[in-house]
Amino acid sequence: MRLAITVAALLLTTMTARADSYEEHDYSLNCSGCHRMDGSGSSVVPSFHKMPELNGKPGVREYWIQVPGAAQAPLSDARLAALMNWLVQRFTGKRPKPAYTAQEVGQLRMNPLRDPIAKRNELQQAPPR
Amino acid sequence: MSRLDRWFEGMSRESARRVSRRNWLSRFGGVLVGGVALPLLPVARAAEKHTVGEDGVKGREGDPTRCEYWRHCAIDGFLCSCCGGSHTACPPGTEMSPVTWIGTCRNPADGKDYIISYNDCCGKTFCGRCMCNRNEGERPLYHWYRSNDINWCGGAKSQTYSCSTAVVVKTAKEAQPEK
Repeated sequence: MRLAITVAALLLTTMTARADSYEEHDYSLNCSGCHRMDGSGSSVVPSFHKMPELNGKPGVREYWIQVPGAAQAPLSDARLAALMNWLVQRFTGKRPKPAYTAQEVGQLRMNPLRDPIAKRNELQQAPPR
Repeated sequence: MSRLDRWFEGMSRESARRVSRRNWLSRFGGVLVGGVALPLLPVARAAEKHTVGEDGVKGREGDPTRCEYWRHCAIDGFLCSCCGGSHTACPPGTEMSPVTWIGTCRNPADGKDYIISYNDCCGKTFCGRCMCNRNEGERPLYHWYRSNDINWCGGAKSQTYSCSTAVVVKTAKEAQPEK
């Protein structure tokens, strides 16, 4: 009986997953709807699992903040910087160096991309730094 | 052990001598019917408040077929609960769109905010039952990833909208809009 209660309690706590930080909360609310919780995207939304292919190429660090989903997210510069540090770490395995700051993110957001897909193709063809 | 046996034997012989079989049957029948009727009493229904939902969220489940249900705070569409599915599953013959819009709703049972994913079910013509349009915390179309005026079947195989679900993702750190 006691075992059954313990197992039930354990199941309950794992099923009611908690948002541990604002990064995860902000990801769930502002990114996961289209990019999905695991970041795999869909037929109409790019996958975050392709981020390692771009990581380190010139202009990519800036591009990741300028894409519409990031630049236009209803988040403060500080929250967006924290979210992007967390997101890059999660999907590339490496924390951005140096880490994004609120100031850098704020400046990049003011220069939105005219054509995000063309920009990505251009970045993809560039040789790694 | 034998003492226990003797005690039980004594008890049953004693009751067999004193109590008729019909009396026992009527008592036993009373217990059966009473046990079934107990959950219908208001006392039993008050205890429901502390149940746990199918996705582990505590609190009264409420009626998922009504617009007033707490998870539907920002819904715009037909409730899948009225269309052969539930608030977490699509009706047969439809596919849940992988892309969706996400918001928060407060659960009155525990006063906490939860992240809700309003996945659309796609592939059959619109359901037409239980139309709800609450829109709390929903954004205009220029914030398209927080807008419910979009056909979110865009990511599914078929773009035909049928009905909407309201899946709890997890507890929210804060209610919308963000600080």
